[in-house]
Amino acid sequence: MSDISEERIRVFTDAVKRYFSQTAGEAVEIDTAFLAEDGNPVYYDYTGLISISGGFRGCVYFSAPRVLLRHLLVAHGEADHREENLLDLVGEVANNFSGNAREHFGPAFAISPPVAVKGRPDRLKSDGFRRRPFVISVTWKAYTAAIAVCVEGAAQA
Amino acid sequence: MSGAIVKNDMKLMIVDDSNIIRGRIARVVETGKIPDVSVVGMARNGSEALRLCQERQPDLVTMDLTMPEMDGIVCTEGLVQIKPDVRILVVSALRDKATALEALQKGALGFVCKPFTDDQLAGALNELMERQT
Repeated sequence: MSDISEERIRVFTDAVKRYFSQTAGEAVEIDTAFLAEDGNPVYYDYTGLISISGGFRGCVYFSAPRVLLRHLLVAHGEADHREENLLDLVGEVANNFSGNAREHFGPAFAISPPVAVKGRPDRLKSDGFRRRPFVISVTWKAYTAAIAVCVEGAAQA
Repeated sequence: MSGAIVKNDMKLMIVDDSNIIRGRIARVVETGKIPDVSVVGMARNGSEALRLCQERQPDLVTMDLTMPEMDGIVCTEGLVQIKPDVRILVVSALRDKATALEALQKGALGFVCKPFTDDQLAGALNELMERQT
């Protein structure tokens, strides 16, 4: 089980709501967070991964289907929907969620620049998913994406 | 003497590792929400920004913080050394107060949290330009 409490998962759900509200002017549906199956993280077409260090250890990722990201690019006013921008966006969204969480966790929640991948995110296993992550499912415009949080820390998050 | 910048032909440099965000900020400028400002350069990290600053001499900078190679805090400090009158607006997802304070101590003059709306960004940049130093 992740060391991060369910209560503090709310920090990330608030970040998700804020992101879609500010970027697209629309609300999102957020399901109850759940613990992912061991060694079987939830993922979609593209994944943006943030490594967490400092007083904490682990990672946060955002994974989304191509069609959701294309809609988000439109919301940003971006007409170029090439692969490069889909990867850029999925990383930037992960950066937003992780960075916003510092409002709660403080600067000891050190975040890396995003790493974005297409397809099966093999890299996840080596980047902090030794424990089962909390997964938050998000539905926007009928498309479902996921935020996964797997963080443990000296500060006992 | 007023420290406010005369807004004619003000030069803006955008520093962010995200192509999407660089484009978004540039489009906000192009819409005219920030009058008399033109984008003179974009950088993907702090190192690029320092090089570009010497070449383009921007009046204004939007500065991301979490970037590869050189982060925005270090870059802010470097830009102020190169061009002491440069006005830097941090645009970052890092929402904690300690980070904002550190950026201000290094020479930034404002802070906008990501995610932002076009109006929030334009308002912050306009405010930065009107501000007395």
